[in-house]
Amino acid sequence: MLTVGSLSRAELEARLSGAGLVLRTGPFANRIRSDVQPLIDGVALMYADYPVDPEGGFVDFHLDFLRSGGLRRWVRSQVHFAYDGTTPFQPLPLGQAYPMLEWTMNWCVSHRAHGYLIIHAAVLEKHGRAIILPAPPGSGKSTLTAALLGHGWRLLSDEMTLVHLDDAVLVPLPRPVSLKNTSIDIIRAFRPDAVLSRPVEETTKGTIAHLKAPRDSIARAAEPARPACIVFPRWEAGAAIALDPMPKARAFMQVADNSFNYQVLGARGFAALGRLIDASDAYTFRYSNLHEAMALFERLAQGAA
Amino acid sequence: MWRVTPGQALACREWDGEAVLYNDLSGNTHLLDGAALDLLHALRVRPADAATLAVRLADHFDAGDNDLVSLIDDMLVTLAGLDLIEPC
Repeated sequence: MLTVGSLSRAELEARLSGAGLVLRTGPFANRIRSDVQPLIDGVALMYADYPVDPEGGFVDFHLDFLRSGGLRRWVRSQVHFAYDGTTPFQPLPLGQAYPMLEWTMNWCVSHRAHGYLIIHAAVLEKHGRAIILPAPPGSGKSTLTAALLGHGWRLLSDEMTLVHLDDAVLVPLPRPVSLKNTSIDIIRAFRPDAVLSRPVEETTKGTIAHLKAPRDSIARAAEPARPACIVFPRWEAGAAIALDPMPKARAFMQVADNSFNYQVLGARGFAALGRLIDASDAYTFRYSNLHEAMALFERLAQGAA
Repeated sequence: MWRVTPGQALACREWDGEAVLYNDLSGNTHLLDGAALDLLHALRVRPADAATLAVRLADHFDAGDNDLVSLIDDMLVTLAGLDLIEPC
């Protein structure tokens, strides 16, 4: 199988600047074209273990990231994103090209992949039990996810949980984990082995760095997982660790609120989410100490809260 | 008299005395308690007014006769506000 890492830098740049690199992420084929060096650096580091699809196959998303033309090419150069020939976003400074790739890949899935119920949530699996972590920004979801990946958990997704509409099975979409601001140094200290992209400052979300997805998670991207728990995490400085059961009907409403396309799917989304809630225990989770959180999640993986 | 609004399939899931219900007309999902769900199910069987529903559902509710009719009246107005039921 051809991977990004098996291409030389020259081959990678030739594909990206030519017909495009067809990058396989979970169920999706992304054709990426770019001449922007920071983006190429990010792809080479973060996607080294990902499959490259052959030319001529079906492509889900066509993504072009190109440098400004004219004077802008030389002064405060920017990167422009085009999706299937349209330009849905404002250009960004060149240095933000790699985070822009991640955001736009998320956007493509959340706005187009309506064959799944898509929840704004991380999802990880261990011992055959998948745990979904829906949470708004600032809840510590990605920090917790990055920490768990160093403790034997498989990454299905840091950002988007894909729920199969017919049987509530969870479809992996393992991609780099987005870390913001203080989370970057927290994970560097907690997981010295972690591979992080170069931090990019002054984005709309602050300073951003991405954590490379584990190789095993990428290799198992075609292997779905069964839901076991839905855990709503909240990081709170100095808080004692607490895991409290949550009534299922309330969990349903909160997951629906955290979904990208629940409303779009209508009655099919209602049925799919009902099956997911049926299959899952729901909890609220408060924590301040990552080591304690690791121990508690190990118990959840073993089937004991 | 009240009836279930035509077009409402009343698709719902119930866990531990609470329910979620899909509103076919608005596309919204509502969190309901068991009592509201009982009223909807009763109206799906046949249209009724609050007094009739109070008799039919007396075993399901923990309230006196007069209080129960008033309670059911309030719940019917709330359900009508969600377009789940309508006067007939």
